[in-house]
Amino acid sequence: MPLLTRLCLRAGLAWLVIALAAGLWLAVSPMGAPPGLRPTWIHLITVGWITNLIFGVAHWMFPRASREQPRGQAFWGWVAFGGLNVGLLLRALAESFPGPSAPAMLEAAAVFQLGAGVAFAIHIWPRLTVR
Amino acid sequence: MPAWSVRLIRGALVYLVAGAMIGAMLLSAAARGVAVPVGPARALHAELLLFGWLVQFTMGVAYWMMPKHATGPERGPVAPIVAAWLLLNAGVWLAGLGQALLWPDPVVIAGRAAEAGAVLAFAVNLVPRVKAFGAGRSPSP
Repeated sequence: MPLLTRLCLRAGLAWLVIALAAGLWLAVSPMGAPPGLRPTWIHLITVGWITNLIFGVAHWMFPRASREQPRGQAFWGWVAFGGLNVGLLLRALAESFPGPSAPAMLEAAAVFQLGAGVAFAIHIWPRLTVR
Repeated sequence: MPAWSVRLIRGALVYLVAGAMIGAMLLSAAARGVAVPVGPARALHAELLLFGWLVQFTMGVAYWMMPKHATGPERGPVAPIVAAWLLLNAGVWLAGLGQALLWPDPVVIAGRAAEAGAVLAFAVNLVPRVKAFGAGRSPSP
């Protein structure tokens, strides 16, 4: 299993644990939890857990791009992994612990996560070939 | 990878980028305190990413990777996959745009029905393939 896949799966598992903790917080103290925690919780599961898993497994198992570069241009895979996780971290921090720097963090999170989606599409598209 | 998997996964990637773009705009608007119609935009964002991206990607990968049949078409009949692809994409557009543009309820209901139909059509192809790898093949001498 390639390094990028291992990191995606480990990050996904870590986000799942964090999502479960956030869900517990919301269940135990719905009024005491920060208002932004609910959308963050949804994104911890859908982006942090599911999307990391998809990115990692697709990088590992999709058809080879070429004999020389079986997994295509890994650079875009790393950009997707970095953007997804840094973006989610910034969003989770900004929405869970709002402060003066929260708007800038949310702006950065938007750019990082959009960049991750675009990078993943660029990375995987050439490997989608009919055989 | 079969042609229909390629089609489904490429479509899913387009929805991923489109859905992420709307999500980024929503997040950016929240950061700047800009007033946007959050409810409709969020509904479209969720529709594109849950059904357009996640469900369509899953369908494409499952059609490719599930155990193949020993006899007849190896991945089963193609017609249910074509129907699933058409219905899912029609459903995403109808339900997504219907909520985003505040179209009448029947449009959104039609979209949801199309999405349900897509899942049923997909199940027609996939359920017979939920079996042990190699099942139905005669043992090699």
